[in-house]
Amino acid sequence: MKIEFETFALANGLTVILHVDRGSPLVAVNLWYHVGSKDEAPGRTGFAHLFEHLMFMGSKHAPYPSFDAIMESWGGHNNGTTSNDRTNYYEIGPRNLLETFLWLEADRLATLAEVITEEELEKQRKVVLNERRQSYENRPYGRTELRVPEIMYPPTHPYHWPTIGSHADLEAASVADVRQFFERFYRPSNASLTIAGDFEPAAARALVEKYFGWQAKREAPRLPAPAAPVLAEDRDETLSDRVQLPRLRLCWHAPALFAPGDAELDLAAHVLGGGKSSRLYRALVFDQRIAQDVFAFQSSQRLGSLFHVGSTAKPDRALADVGRAVEEQLERLAHDGPSAAEVDRARNTHLADFYKSLDHLQTRADLLNHYQYLLGDPAGVERDVARYEAATPASVRDAFAAVLAQRRLVIRTIPEAGGETAAGEAAPGEAGGEHGAEATT
Amino acid sequence: MAQPPPVGPLPRLEPTRPTRFVLSNGLEVLAVRREVAPLVAVNVMFRVGSDADGPELVGLGSSTADLLDEGAGARDPLQMAEDLEQLGADLWLGCGRDGSQLSLQVPRKGFEAGLAMAADVLLRPRLGADDWARVRHDRLTGLAQRRDQAEAVASLVSDRVLYGDAHPYGRSSEGFERTVARIEIDDIRRFHATHYRPNNAALVVAGDFDEAELQGQLEAALGAWAPGPTTAPAPSPPFPARPRLVLVDRPAAPQSIVRILSPGTDRLSPDRPALSMLNAVLGGSFTSRLNFNLREQKGYTYGAGSSFSFLRRPGGFAARAAVFTEVTAAAVTEFLVELRAVRERPFTDDERTKARAMLLDRVAEGLATSGGISATFAELSLYGLPLDEPERFIAALERVTAADLLALARKYIDPEGACIVIVGDRAAIEPGLRALGLPAPELRDADGERLSS
Repeated sequence: MKIEFETFALANGLTVILHVDRGSPLVAVNLWYHVGSKDEAPGRTGFAHLFEHLMFMGSKHAPYPSFDAIMESWGGHNNGTTSNDRTNYYEIGPRNLLETFLWLEADRLATLAEVITEEELEKQRKVVLNERRQSYENRPYGRTELRVPEIMYPPTHPYHWPTIGSHADLEAASVADVRQFFERFYRPSNASLTIAGDFEPAAARALVEKYFGWQAKREAPRLPAPAAPVLAEDRDETLSDRVQLPRLRLCWHAPALFAPGDAELDLAAHVLGGGKSSRLYRALVFDQRIAQDVFAFQSSQRLGSLFHVGSTAKPDRALADVGRAVEEQLERLAHDGPSAAEVDRARNTHLADFYKSLDHLQTRADLLNHYQYLLGDPAGVERDVARYEAATPASVRDAFAAVLAQRRLVIRTIPEAGGETAAGEAAPGEAGGEHGAEATT
Repeated sequence: MAQPPPVGPLPRLEPTRPTRFVLSNGLEVLAVRREVAPLVAVNVMFRVGSDADGPELVGLGSSTADLLDEGAGARDPLQMAEDLEQLGADLWLGCGRDGSQLSLQVPRKGFEAGLAMAADVLLRPRLGADDWARVRHDRLTGLAQRRDQAEAVASLVSDRVLYGDAHPYGRSSEGFERTVARIEIDDIRRFHATHYRPNNAALVVAGDFDEAELQGQLEAALGAWAPGPTTAPAPSPPFPARPRLVLVDRPAAPQSIVRILSPGTDRLSPDRPALSMLNAVLGGSFTSRLNFNLREQKGYTYGAGSSFSFLRRPGGFAARAAVFTEVTAAAVTEFLVELRAVRERPFTDDERTKARAMLLDRVAEGLATSGGISATFAELSLYGLPLDEPERFIAALERVTAADLLALARKYIDPEGACIVIVGDRAAIEPGLRALGLPAPELRDADGERLSS
């Protein structure tokens, strides 16, 4: 399967991708800025995401709350998300809104720093603090999510802190920080813009030139890549949370997104914990009935990935028994590798899920920008699919064995009431980042 | 660049018209072909949901849906899972208030094989006693874990309070530990044999199938399925009297989950298009009055909203938000301010234009994917609605006046009679709530059982 598109660049460096689909009278605009929580300064964690919220607080010609009000008054809707690696903004609505979407996006890129106020910053700071409580602090096992990357990455690595940020850093952010961040990262040369849906490419191109073309060219910022993170020794932690059942999680460093082994580890994760036919489900949930659930996933990111495996114990079952059963499956897979049938199932499921996601206009638009950012070329579908097609039982075994041979984190979450309170418990306000966490406005 | 660009006329929604035919056993089929992705989406919607559980076996419909794919035809449960994954097929069963559903999403080349497996699940499930013992234990554990989730607790308690325990909608679709523990395999076999019948269902297929072959493929897979007698649902009990304030204590919780509840109406109500517009303005969009006030102006929450549940029986209206614990009482005040305001001031022309455009967009987006198309028409068939209902809905929006909206707000939005449900830190929030003049709260636990205060 292919996604047809045309692409061009403006003189100021903005990459533009056009994908026509006339199946519905809808148009989607999707804009990626190549900045995420990895680009934050120490003491300002959570800033990329807080900034994303401020992008909705008005620009010079569309003062607050025009951005949402104008678009929603004609049937459009929008959002933005921030990850460690990038920030995206998107709009979708009836096709007659294309010019409105482009005008609003262009105006905030050109003028946001001129109009942002302390009052607006304060409002969104509160919204983000609520988001942190809703997404982590008042959610079962949320404290563990915050703690894992803090252990896995050293303080000098930009994946050490959470996308959502810490309370203290969010409180410290100032309007001067906002302006500086905007000037540094929000540049046409540091972005790519995809338009997808029911539109005329020539007309869309003219509109993009009109609204974005006049904006000045400034070089895209280049940050030095951090040293590859290594866990110097095995780590073992227990923390308590407001949960009924104890949960075990193991975590290792793994190859970055699109690096050799990344696709194999997606498949290994599926073989281990991807569904009812997976090894962990079969052993722990179906046969031994000691676990309520199992999971395994490769969280792929630009500067390096994490491979996670875990399981929640059944009531009255010891987490230690669950741990032993998990270890046994890990060792078997690393030693013998998966069967050809297991790799086939994992691959077929992965590719079917991928194709399913492409049915959505907005997902296709987002994927074109994803490939543009990661591969420097929107035409990534075939290349992406090919790495799963090429995987073999031997390559999956080798990639998995290499991960397992490293130092690892073992982290247990135990019920707060009645459970022993362990050393090393994370205070909720001081925790580390989430795997590929995306925070939305 | 200083002025917003002109916005042209809203596009017309081109009707999506499924091909319709009926199999020899009476199963209605609706088919929409499209080629965006090499996939086929199938929904089989049964006109039976947790509504049919009865008060003793709450959770029976969802337990049945859960157990159906645990082995069927020649396959045991794990073989079933392996063969579906080999096809890249996603087979899912679920049970809602009014309907139960099988959903199959499968790559084009595995369509016939996936269909055959779906047919096994519907016609020839194993429904083994051992498998039920295992799945029941998983479900019971899951029900215990539900207490961890503040939002799930709020939903459960809200339903019990708004509809009451005598009403089918007052009971959790997933059930309760004490009722699921009581469900035996024979109950599940009976539920399946009674309700999973072709004349009690509709099948919707959307995506990249072969048009010339489809009817023959479906007849081959499902033709042997025998019809059975169907029964009409029991009449709806009335909404019970509502307490003003219900509290579920969650000590040291950093947020309070707030729900404000009152009765709404049913899926076939002529008020539905106008109520959808009313809700779009009140709490159904980012720029809605509730979100603008509680999130954007006050910073109390990550998001506030509202919705009507349009079901076979009259459903509820709920306004909702998760707010900082410290501002719980202030948030309740703002909710009541906005609920009162819609009864007092007519909506502006701009608000009505916005609501119409938004609802048109939602309908268009719902019909823009194979999964969305099959879900849309499955829902229409569940409620016996005509296939041009999406266009009728859009046309009805055009006729709604400001006076209509004001009259409906006064009929359905009831700030003084609404029930306020809060899941949060009682010690921290109760004094503030009392200071608002609210009565002493009715206390419930995380399963919705009443506690003596």
